[in-house]
Amino acid sequence: MSIYSNNLAPANKASALANRIKTFESLAGFVSLQVDVTTHQGQSAIVDRKDLRTAVLALRDKLGFDMLVDIVGIDYLNMTGYQGPRFAVAYIFKSLHLAGQRFQLKVLVSEEDAVIPSIHDLYAIADWQERETWDLIGVVFEGHPNLKRLLNHFEFVGHPLRKDYPAQKRQWLSMNDPMLDQLSDRLRQKGFELLDPVPVNTPAVEDIIKGSRQ
Amino acid sequence: MSLAEANQPISQASPMAQDALPFPVVTTTLDAVINWGRSNSMWPLTYATACCAIEFMSLMSPRYDFARFGTEFMRFTPRQADLLMVMGTITYKQAPILRRIYEQMAAPRWVLCAGACASTGGMYDAYCTVPGIDHIIPVDVFIGGCPPRPEAYIDAAIKLQEKIKDESFMRERLGRLRERGEDIPQ
Repeated sequence: MSIYSNNLAPANKASALANRIKTFESLAGFVSLQVDVTTHQGQSAIVDRKDLRTAVLALRDKLGFDMLVDIVGIDYLNMTGYQGPRFAVAYIFKSLHLAGQRFQLKVLVSEEDAVIPSIHDLYAIADWQERETWDLIGVVFEGHPNLKRLLNHFEFVGHPLRKDYPAQKRQWLSMNDPMLDQLSDRLRQKGFELLDPVPVNTPAVEDIIKGSRQ
Repeated sequence: MSLAEANQPISQASPMAQDALPFPVVTTTLDAVINWGRSNSMWPLTYATACCAIEFMSLMSPRYDFARFGTEFMRFTPRQADLLMVMGTITYKQAPILRRIYEQMAAPRWVLCAGACASTGGMYDAYCTVPGIDHIIPVDVFIGGCPPRPEAYIDAAIKLQEKIKDESFMRERLGRLRERGEDIPQ
């Protein structure tokens, strides 16, 4: 049951709203927060990117939000009635021991300076979530140890979930994604010894054309 | 019987020579024999990525019994397969892999493309989905449906058999020899 859903029973809705207001006020004691007026009932709190790590640490250690559910990138390009930076990244938190406790933090960044500090060291799941957000929206997470594409191919150019990415554009890829760079590191960590790959003998074009005639 | 007489095509041999043979004789063309063999031994390699492959499972089961059409042996290596069956959505990330598998198959090879996704991209009109595998590899038979019924697969197999029976091994061989520069009169 999510407090972001409008289909809650009225009593649950009221208690969810009360929970959220309580969390907002507690968190405002640590960092400066704003209410996000673009969402329903101000469902998310906007935090400046320089305060993001402080806010996340306070949520995790002081307020009991021990689970990061999702990191979502948003592109506000050409949205009716919206004024402000083009991109937003929303962090959705959940508490595993406080019933019904959820909270959403949002960071707004402009297109020219789409850089946000990484929180991969605070929540392990943020590692892949940030890679996915970078892959699809193109927001850079500063301090991430391995910020490469998660879903798309490494030859892919652009960020496909941006509103100005042409939906019908197709990109041809020349080879499959071996992912050996990460795999060999993991295997070495586990104590496996990796042999050198067998050298591939690529025949020259002339040899292929001559074929069996020679 | 002299050697020259024995090397004569049997249809041109004299009726006397046919009568003299101690076993019954059927005259035919080499193409007909080769195509008969090929069309009744299409060993499939499955490239199954989505729900069309679930229909393929029932197709191989005794109720529909796809093996009747010579697809008795499933080969899970492209080196031993004649028929590549692509069943399911193909993304651009998979496209180089599919292409490579097709290139690893030995000629003669045929491709059967099953379902809306593999044929046209289906409902995935997106940046990541190939709009039909005929952009990557040549396709012999398309099957419509989402997913197609096993009867449609059987129909496609019969169509493919008809197509194989239309091919001419000798003509292809002649073309290959001419490409290699051998002097063969027209």
